Amino acid sequence: MAGVGGQGIILAAQVLGTAAVNDGFNVRVSEIHGMAQRGGAVVSDVRIGENVLAPTVLDGNADVLLGFEPIETLRNLKFASGKTIVIMNAERIMPTELTAKRAKYPSLEETIQKINAFTKNVIVIEASKLAKEVGNILTQNVVLLGALAAVGKIPIKTETLIDALRELIPPKQLEVNIKAFKIGYEKAEKLIKS
Amino acid sequence: MPDPRLLLEDKLGKKTLLLGNEAIARGTLEAGISVVTTYPGTPASEIGDTLSEIAKDAGLYMEYSTNEIVAVEVAAGAANCGVRALTAMKHVGLNVAADAVMTLAYIGVRGGYVIVTADDPGCYSSQNEQDNRFYALLSNLPCLEPSNPQEAKDMTVSAVEVSEKLELPVLLRTTTRVSHTRGPVVYGKLAKPNLKGEFVKDVKRMVMVPAHARIMHARLLEKLEAAKEISEKSPYNVEVRRGNGEYGIISSSAAYNYAEEARELLGLDASVLKLGMTYPLPEKMIGKFLKKHKKVIIIEELEPYLEMQIKAVAKDYAPSVEIYGKISLTYFPRKGELSTRAVTTGMAKITGRKPPINFDKLDAAYSEISKDLPSRPPILCAGCPHMASFYVIGKATGKRAIYPTDIGCYALGAAPPLSIGDILICMGASIGAAQGISKVADKDVVAVIGDSTFFHAAIPGLVNAVYNNHKVVLVVLDNLTTAMTGHQPHPGTGKTGMQTQGKRILIEKVAEGCGVKYVKVVSPFNVKEAENTLKEALKHEESSVIIFRAPCALMTMRERRRKGEEVAPYRITEKCTNCMACIKLLGCPALTIENEKVSINEVLCVACGLCASVCPYNAIEKVKQK
Repeated sequence: MAGVGGQGIILAAQVLGTAAVNDGFNVRVSEIHGMAQRGGAVVSDVRIGENVLAPTVLDGNADVLLGFEPIETLRNLKFASGKTIVIMNAERIMPTELTAKRAKYPSLEETIQKINAFTKNVIVIEASKLAKEVGNILTQNVVLLGALAAVGKIPIKTETLIDALRELIPPKQLEVNIKAFKIGYEKAEKLIKS
Repeated sequence: MPDPRLLLEDKLGKKTLLLGNEAIARGTLEAGISVVTTYPGTPASEIGDTLSEIAKDAGLYMEYSTNEIVAVEVAAGAANCGVRALTAMKHVGLNVAADAVMTLAYIGVRGGYVIVTADDPGCYSSQNEQDNRFYALLSNLPCLEPSNPQEAKDMTVSAVEVSEKLELPVLLRTTTRVSHTRGPVVYGKLAKPNLKGEFVKDVKRMVMVPAHARIMHARLLEKLEAAKEISEKSPYNVEVRRGNGEYGIISSSAAYNYAEEARELLGLDASVLKLGMTYPLPEKMIGKFLKKHKKVIIIEELEPYLEMQIKAVAKDYAPSVEIYGKISLTYFPRKGELSTRAVTTGMAKITGRKPPINFDKLDAAYSEISKDLPSRPPILCAGCPHMASFYVIGKATGKRAIYPTDIGCYALGAAPPLSIGDILICMGASIGAAQGISKVADKDVVAVIGDSTFFHAAIPGLVNAVYNNHKVVLVVLDNLTTAMTGHQPHPGTGKTGMQTQGKRILIEKVAEGCGVKYVKVVSPFNVKEAENTLKEALKHEESSVIIFRAPCALMTMRERRRKGEEVAPYRITEKCTNCMACIKLLGCPALTIENEKVSINEVLCVACGLCASVCPYNAIEKVKQK
């Protein structure tokens, strides 16, 4: 999972990790805290499986790259191979370097083209937009989790993932998050079929 | 962890996902540790934070101490009354605490005492990547090194046992990838905390005057011999795999995980000796392991701590064994964090095998993408009061002064466009370094420091400035919290680790008490007033202190969200000439360029109004609330 500090990556990884444990898997989730987080590039690795020991993914070895932001998705392509599925949020967060240089943010087509050099399996989800639609932009992370569940690359039951949301999200925010999960799931499912 | 109180469940055998630091907090409860002290620091912070939230319910005492040495002293006092204690800190915190730790090793403890040091290979959130295993070697204190959250919990409990057996503090050394990794943890039994201790006087043991210290040093070396026996039998020092006898691998901590996965990837039939107690080392066990193999590969993060000692053991036990690591012939990096890839590459070179992944090809493809990717370093948040402070400091001094800076979010102010931050060493160094610079460089010197950092380490420096008549301006960036490490309280907030309201200590009163005559408190968002206050300070012939006080933007936002308050952001009006002053002066992440025009990101904007104050055309205004 790759994105920008503040996008809810730690929580998304925690939900996935919790669901993995609840479904009886061994799991390692690595996180970045503290200063590195402040609006900076953030990566969280989730490894699920019997023999996982290392907390971080080996280059070229990710099953899924869940990109919370296009530039950060590109930055983490070294973890991808032809087998990797890239699920990417279309919402751009302008890096201050580009603003300072008054440079343009790369277009979506350009981004997808670059991803295609690594893998043809790309799903673009407008997670931030969908999150806003369900009522809270902050649920973009859960929209992406829904999409992740839909692509069928993780061994965890969708129901267990939703239960993990129930376990980890404060009751007041739960309903909107479950909605976010479902809309992400449906969107991705449709994209896969088409 | 949805709610830290779940750690209090007395459910033996329950399996749950815990962060390494949360696992240490659980271990604290299972070990019956009753006094917990800390100074927050990434990657150690969540140990204290988790325990702070549940201390009252758990029946233990928890405090955020002013700094790490105080934290160790408080805990050492309790532990010498027979109460079990734990102190958590980041790796550099142990430098601050070292004076106490080195001599406490002579005195020892009566109740079990664990000192957690969380190292940060890769400098994710630190000013250096020192390897604190050397503190074990330096102090002769036993050291345990977990490789995952489960071990982090288990070793916290074991550390207390070892500590009580030897009557010595025990170091529990984690790294970022242990402290900040989540993994399944199986609960053990909870132990009842016991906060009642007794101080039994024993001057020869407790009072380290030279005559006693000489005796206690000898006593420490005796304990070290006993510790070696414990290490030989430790369940954490174990041959986890037996190979065909050609290659042996010795590893510890997070490095073990990479080592084992790399061995698997390369299909290497090697024996693996996993070390969890890494001071003192089980010399006999290692000697035997060396003897059984022709070649031994040592895999460890950062310094060749194990390798140095293992090569010494080899001299006595197995002089002909070939040892591969990072001394003289370098197969593994000595800087940065390890990875499965780095270990696979090194191991492949040693064994003449081919990694199953063509990393060179991958790198070539990736460099095509990475070469024009814009960087995204951590930055000050939209609405951060430090941004306002740095803007004011730059404006008042024409950016011609020298700006020693310090440890905290505000270190990010050194980056353009704010560019306030010329030297950064360690906690509290800004005020000290400022004095040396002002003594010899013919420039104004404005040092900056955070509120928590002020209490942690700036007071002696400030006293020095007054006493030795240095002329510096100390700007305290008081955002009313320890922001960078996760918003812990400090003496300036008055809140305590027990979640009660204690006494609030005002920085301005401390400064006055230190003898500073010009002490002012002002909000940095009052740009004009703040600028004038600083200009006035620079006219003084003595050292002065200005406190720029405004709460951390993240805290403000959280508060607003809790209250359900809507924030009306700012917007750019038609008066905008696209001069870009706001962007060039502030670098606020909420200010972006859309379709060649400056625009304000309404999601990020927290309505601090700083951009409106700096706009030369009054072209930024608050959006009227509906």
